[in-house]
Amino acid sequence: MVTGRAALLLTLSAATLPLWPSPWLGLAVLTGGVFVLSTVDFVLAAPLRDVELTRDGTRTVRSGETATISLRVANRSPRVLQADIRDSWVPSAGATPAVHRVVVEPGSAVTVETSLTPTRRGDRPAVRLTLRSHGPLRLAFRQRAGRPATPQWTLRVLPRFDSRRFLPEKTARLRTLEGSTVTRGRGQGTEFDVLREYVIGDDVRSIDWRASARRSDVLVRTWRPERDRRVVCVLDTGRTSAVLAGTEPRLDAAIDAALLLSALALRAGDQVDLLAVDTAVRATVSGGRHVLLPRLVNALAPLQPSLVETDFELVVGEVLRRERKRALVVLFTALEPGALGDGLLPVLPRLATRHKVLVAAVHDPLLAEARGDPYLAAAALRTLGERDRVRSALTRHGVEVLDAPVDTFASRVADTYLALKQAGKL
Amino acid sequence: MRRWHRFAIPLGVVALVFAVTGVAYSVNEPDPSDPEFLSPISVDGIGGQRLAQALADRGVRVERETRTPDALVSANQGDATLFVPVPRVVHPDYLAMLRLLPPSTRIVLVDPARQALDDASIPLALVGRRWAARAVAPDCAVDEARAAGPAAALRQRYKGDGVHCYDAGVVRVSWQRADLIVIGASDPFRNDRIGEHGNAALATGLLATRPRVVWLDLHKLEPPPGVVDEPGSSDGVPPSLGEDPRDGEYTEDGGEGTPGEEGDGSGSDSQAGEGSRDSPSASDVDSENPLWNAFPPWFWALLIQLALAAVLLALWRARRLGPPVTEPLPVTVRAAETVHGRGRLYRRAKARGPTADLLRAAARDRLTQLLAPTAGASLVDAAAAAARWDPEQIEGLLDGPTPESDDDLRRLQSDLDALVEAIRRAR
Repeated sequence: MVTGRAALLLTLSAATLPLWPSPWLGLAVLTGGVFVLSTVDFVLAAPLRDVELTRDGTRTVRSGETATISLRVANRSPRVLQADIRDSWVPSAGATPAVHRVVVEPGSAVTVETSLTPTRRGDRPAVRLTLRSHGPLRLAFRQRAGRPATPQWTLRVLPRFDSRRFLPEKTARLRTLEGSTVTRGRGQGTEFDVLREYVIGDDVRSIDWRASARRSDVLVRTWRPERDRRVVCVLDTGRTSAVLAGTEPRLDAAIDAALLLSALALRAGDQVDLLAVDTAVRATVSGGRHVLLPRLVNALAPLQPSLVETDFELVVGEVLRRERKRALVVLFTALEPGALGDGLLPVLPRLATRHKVLVAAVHDPLLAEARGDPYLAAAALRTLGERDRVRSALTRHGVEVLDAPVDTFASRVADTYLALKQAGKL
Repeated sequence: MRRWHRFAIPLGVVALVFAVTGVAYSVNEPDPSDPEFLSPISVDGIGGQRLAQALADRGVRVERETRTPDALVSANQGDATLFVPVPRVVHPDYLAMLRLLPPSTRIVLVDPARQALDDASIPLALVGRRWAARAVAPDCAVDEARAAGPAAALRQRYKGDGVHCYDAGVVRVSWQRADLIVIGASDPFRNDRIGEHGNAALATGLLATRPRVVWLDLHKLEPPPGVVDEPGSSDGVPPSLGEDPRDGEYTEDGGEGTPGEEGDGSGSDSQAGEGSRDSPSASDVDSENPLWNAFPPWFWALLIQLALAAVLLALWRARRLGPPVTEPLPVTVRAAETVHGRGRLYRRAKARGPTADLLRAAARDRLTQLLAPTAGASLVDAAAAAARWDPEQIEGLLDGPTPESDDDLRRLQSDLDALVEAIRRAR
């Protein structure tokens, strides 16, 4: 195929036509000349099959940060490769520059770098590489779809985990709960920990008289918060998770809160399992106490909302199947009468009798701001009323319900967890 | 899907029937520009060899002519039948000369179009045309037709002075001096149809009234009659038809010279004037476009080269560096979208009653929550006591009439808010 240079050459050489003895001869000679030059250039361009492309670079990046993927262009042909390379990623990968221009000597290789600033969480694949090999005169080029083969690469964009900033505060409260930072007085836990000898300053109410009678010493009971409890984060990735709460999808808010809760629970010595379900199980992490945060983050990163109705029967079945012991099941979903009333309420008793259930719903902050316009305010009040009905229906089953706007959602979920732990309800 | 089929299939069948009919008809219809068409030497289905043979059997001499001037000259000698199977291709000037033929000459025109009739000044009009020729009884006083009986002569019908046979499919016109027969169907003369009905008798009958037939076997448009500048002759001498110029040598402007006539004919200037109405197409073919010479040749070469450059440019731009990349986009609907939609519906329906009820119910719930411990008496009294407001005003707020306008509604909303706020602050 010819380039713009061939057209330009033909245009400029047309100016000489008045000088030719016979313009028609001139036309034939000039056009033929450009044609011959372009053909020669095409033949002299480096062949595409002798170009080899390989990628290297980072595999994961946190949302909002920039990753660099390098592309190595190896030229095995005996001719110089002058190429334009378009590295096509999906638009949300934010790849720059779009086109690389490289000159590769025969037998050598050149590395170009594409920097990616993804705009969204999830897997961002490299779709296609297109290589255009120019001839030495740049009059013609070789280009063919699928040649050379595109090296595959997928960049996993991890969730931002903005609620990390709450973690020190929540951990401090956890420590207070455990009694490890408050030196005097017993910890406020509810679980019996160990008997030890009485020292002056201990609360006399905690003296275990029966144990003291068996020994010659006065023994006190020490308490600690419940440990080795199980926390199951269940994320609803159905249609209600796709809508925007604030500026990002509801699912992203749920992921953020689930990460904070998991981080906190892991520090508290609980086991964290994770489940993402709509009409099928989309992600699952179960490993008891060996689960580490990076694994959770990695599992949650590629989740995408699907526009289907969540199968709560499946959710309950999966949780019951996986969790034999009593656990805290945190269900991240939306308080929508349609979705929950028809789907969750019929199957909730089965779950609530075995486990402690917390329904955590994030709502659009706009709902609370519906002031000034009476019609909008009335509509908002009506929606709130519907949500209250759902909430009371859930509460009747002994389910804790948390309905919070997006900005405080993660923090409120962590607070509820701490409160439950303090109350020994896990 | 099935509904679509219900209409498409019958319509498709009908369309197919129409298409097949049309194609078959156009295939079967003889093409007059075909050299085989009614040619005395053609044995093809549409040829006329069997007719020529039949005429020869009856002792009639068939003279085949391929140029109109020759045919005219021959027919002009009298005692002949001039048979013109395709009048459409005969030049209008020659058609105009038909009237000059002697009375002893019979002219047979097959299916002349309106233009041909007008050019020859034959006072006949076209009235209706059938899809195909039909055999009908002659039903007239022409001897040849009566002798032939029913024949496939009814196709194009004519109307005018003269004897109408075969339901006006054949008309005998005593026109000027000549004996003219116009027949609207070519079927009686064709090899493949001459054996049907009384076709053979009709065809031979029409053509065999004179001892010889001048058969004009012409199928292409021919050049108009022109003038030959004979070196020896002086100006004003009318050129003769016999020395008609060969193709391509005629002059560009027919009005320059007087188209000649046969010697004994009374060549009139008025008819010569008609000769100037020659076909312009023939003269345009060889003349050059004046625009061509308006610019130097290099200009045209330059133009072509720039056009080629534009083609290269288009080729270059048409090849993209890889196709665009697609990606599913996330949902951009806000969670509160249904709330907004419902609010807009309330507004459009001017649902002030339900809106006010909702606002009042919400305020009542809120007051009940706030005043719960002291709610021994009615809510209104408790609220009035707590907020130190007039009980009637609170009564009007909580149970008043439906607001009449949007302003009233807005006022109600702000008043309710103020009441709740006052009580909240008082607690």
